[in-house]
Amino acid sequence: MKTSKRSSWIIWMAAVVAIMVALPAWLPAQSAAVKSFAVGSDSATQWSVQVDRVDPGDLDLAYSFQVAIYENLLEELNKTKQFKQVFRDGDRSASDVPNLLFLQTTVEKYTPGSETRRAVTTVSGATKLRVRSQLLTREGKIVLERKVNGDVRFFGSNLRATHNLARNIAKAIKQSPWSVSEQPTVIPTGQL
Amino acid sequence: MNRLFILRNHRNSDFVGRALIRVWALLFCSSLGALAQNTAPPVNASAPFSIRATHLMGLENTKSNCNGTLSIQDNALQFQHGGKPGTKLKFASVQAVFVGGESKQVGGLPMKLGKAAAPYGGGRVVSLFAHKKYDTVTLEYVDDDGGLHGAIFQLSKGQGELVRDELVARGVPVRPGEDQPTKQSTAEVAHENK
Repeated sequence: MKTSKRSSWIIWMAAVVAIMVALPAWLPAQSAAVKSFAVGSDSATQWSVQVDRVDPGDLDLAYSFQVAIYENLLEELNKTKQFKQVFRDGDRSASDVPNLLFLQTTVEKYTPGSETRRAVTTVSGATKLRVRSQLLTREGKIVLERKVNGDVRFFGSNLRATHNLARNIAKAIKQSPWSVSEQPTVIPTGQL
Repeated sequence: MNRLFILRNHRNSDFVGRALIRVWALLFCSSLGALAQNTAPPVNASAPFSIRATHLMGLENTKSNCNGTLSIQDNALQFQHGGKPGTKLKFASVQAVFVGGESKQVGGLPMKLGKAAAPYGGGRVVSLFAHKKYDTVTLEYVDDDGGLHGAIFQLSKGQGELVRDELVARGVPVRPGEDQPTKQSTAEVAHENK
């Protein structure tokens, strides 16, 4: 009885010590993360972006998919509030904007799936997309390059893959430490 | 001998009668086909055209995934939802129209929940039959600033081509290579076959 009481007391003390050690290390890390994000978003709000038409590459990607990726990208980039303005391809008002980046999207892989196959088998019939996204300056300098995947595996129509892809691209741009003035951050193998 | 001759004559007349019936049936069928071809409504560029459709995405000031009426009148395409005056697209701003096909599960969320709740994988069997084919009409158009937009509509099977024909009759261009089936990348195909 006495030994069990002692052992529980030791465990309790060990837990208290562990929390005391871990907490100071955790708190500065959290504040630093918040700080770095705030700095990144402050510097990025000065920039605007123009989303270019989706390049299907060598693939015969359905036009509805190309258009859906383009439209979803515009929506998701607006949602992130990472850029001052988000322009469409060919927008004449973008030509007067001083700090403008261009987002180019090239489709690299496409696996057409089937909603019925997904519903029947669960494990097959996924619609998968992989694109190469590049942020470029007016001069053509690549600021950011990422390979991003988007797919629909279980529920949802095939077009939902385009929504997931656009969300992932927006997330990749938001989370990447891209900077225009300094050295370009090119991460060709990075995938999301 | 006479009896045999009579019998042969009888057979001949029977044969001729059957042949006549066959020829008449053939003529009747072909004339029906010709009639059907003639009665196909010609695309009248000035007549108003309207069709039930679901707006999937892309049209300005219109909710995604909402049902409504897609109408073509005078020099504009309009999508009306819930009796409100809908968004109008002038034909001059439409750059291209594409028609594609999709197969979707029917029944929405209630059906999904029902299928998930069905015991012994019964929901999967239901899924096997609970799908429907649709046409998708994709429009590429530009706004006043020249910005590119894309709008996707979902229509019942076979109606996509009607909309496309109506738009083409009004001068909207169709991109070459339309309606081609989507192809997988070769690397992906190889991966899938493994």
